[in-house]
Amino acid sequence: MSTTNQTPAAQPVLRDQLREFILENLAHPKGVTSFADDEPLMETGVIDSLGVFRLVSYLEDELGVRVSDEEINPETLKDLNAIEALVIRKRKK
Amino acid sequence: MAYILQQLLQKSAARYPKKLAVWARGRSISYRELEERSNQLARLLQQKGVRKGDRVGLYFPKCVESIVVMLGVVKAGGVYVPLDPQAPAERIGYIIGNCGIRALITRADKRRGLDQATLDSLDFTLLLDEAPQPSDSSAVIPWTVLREYPSSSAPTVTLTEMDLAYILYTSGSTGRPKGVMLTHQNALTFVEWCAEKFHITSDDRLSNHAPLHFDLSVFDVYNTLEAGASLYMVTEDLALFPSKLSAFMETQEITVWYSVPSALTLLLLHADLNADKLKRLRTILFAGEVFPMKYLRQLAERLPHPDLYNLFGPTETNVCTYYKVERDLLPGMDKLPIGVACENTEVFAVNDQDEIVTEPGGTGELYVRGPAVTCGYWGDPEKTSKMVVPNRFQQNFEEKMYRTGDLVQWGEDGNYYFLGRRDSMVKSRGYRIELGEIESALLSHPSVKEAVAIAVPDDIVGNRIKAIVASHDGIHLVPAELQQYCGTRIPKYMIPEAIEFRTELPKTSTGKVDRVQLAQESLQVVLK
Repeated sequence: MSTTNQTPAAQPVLRDQLREFILENLAHPKGVTSFADDEPLMETGVIDSLGVFRLVSYLEDELGVRVSDEEINPETLKDLNAIEALVIRKRKK
Repeated sequence: MAYILQQLLQKSAARYPKKLAVWARGRSISYRELEERSNQLARLLQQKGVRKGDRVGLYFPKCVESIVVMLGVVKAGGVYVPLDPQAPAERIGYIIGNCGIRALITRADKRRGLDQATLDSLDFTLLLDEAPQPSDSSAVIPWTVLREYPSSSAPTVTLTEMDLAYILYTSGSTGRPKGVMLTHQNALTFVEWCAEKFHITSDDRLSNHAPLHFDLSVFDVYNTLEAGASLYMVTEDLALFPSKLSAFMETQEITVWYSVPSALTLLLLHADLNADKLKRLRTILFAGEVFPMKYLRQLAERLPHPDLYNLFGPTETNVCTYYKVERDLLPGMDKLPIGVACENTEVFAVNDQDEIVTEPGGTGELYVRGPAVTCGYWGDPEKTSKMVVPNRFQQNFEEKMYRTGDLVQWGEDGNYYFLGRRDSMVKSRGYRIELGEIESALLSHPSVKEAVAIAVPDDIVGNRIKAIVASHDGIHLVPAELQQYCGTRIPKYMIPEAIEFRTELPKTSTGKVDRVQLAQESLQVVLK
């Protein structure tokens, strides 16, 4: 397991939710069955050009956070940790 | 006039030594440096035993060294084989074996993914990123040793324009990828045509959006070198983020852009493509798939100034036809033409009576003749003889032509129009996908009895892949398991994104799987 999480054990529910969405909708169709919290999802091809937008629609439609085009970048969607941090940050605003 | 690719660099390095040649990931290299580094690499390769015609694999994510490697290999007389850094290691292993790659230039993490038999088959590996581990054999060489080789000139090798320059692997219908062999002449025929058609000059700044194993990149790389222009490489991570990508186009002041239409569609839909901020962008080229008219019109509206060109052609000929978009005609146009033959190439449609179509409105298979046509598929004379055939339409001398497998119509307006394929090859994000290769991957799973792959048309990426599978004795399979299995054999863009299971697949009266029925059923069910 990764230890790079900056909000330790804060949102196990959110993280599990995100992981489940990514696994089912993005990773499985790419032949990937598991990934670590700090695994670079774009470098490994789990998230592709359409995947980015499926993920963002999920964040907006299901998790209720509004993400601007500028916020969609290699840093904010790098890995599960980063995606979780993005959602938490947006929810605080 | 150049007859081998490295002369393009040689000429520009002499003329613009200090000019930026290539930029990637925040690093850049000047023309002089590119010339010197590639000379050093050529000398290293030659000293390690690479001889004329030997294949050298290029297996790492894009960076400035990608271009050093391409040029270094051809300067050593070798043939470079760009390998998809995201493809499964099993497929890379197959390609390395298939074309007998003996020298591999890669990164440590990529090397670690390859199996032992593949590693053992290599004479040596050049590692770009880190020093070899003590456990590595002497056949693993660090990139830093390049410094020890003379940079002032490349080794002497006799090459003609008929020698191979690179091999590009594309999806193969029989279940394995096939290597399209391209000579220096094949590449230069296209490069010289582009140089003239698009007036590339040393003031230009070209993007490189396509991966290097994709033939769109031939234009980016060599037309930059030909003109003494600058190349800005769009790395894999950048390509996924439209707003970053449009910012890249702005900051790097790209003047000539070339990509698959789906990349432009994503930019349109998810980035602030602003004509005021892209003032220097003068030409947009697209190829690889059909550009949906709806999005092309939007692109033309959003960017009212650049020239827009639809380029068309398979890897086997690179581009063979082109169409310059006439903006005035766009509103009333329902289908985008693939246009007319490039001026140094001849194309014609051959109908079912095996005659060349001479009347507007006639349809047939597109054939291509001229110096851009490949000499065939590596190690596959049988496949070559089916596709690269003697020109039976003239008897005066022997020559070959290429059967594209594309069905086209010769329009009243003098342009050709693409109608579809004669076989089961489809495009997704511009990638060639043979449905047979996907089916073969599925069928190699021990529990799979029958499998059919189907392309479901999609507005943005061209096609999305679905599979319908029946298992042996009703063994329970789940999509994720089969998708994971496919992921070990075929690239991610070929893995079916939806898999439907049935106890049996429908059959035609002759007992074959009824693909037509399955395809029609799939069209009615929208992919999740």
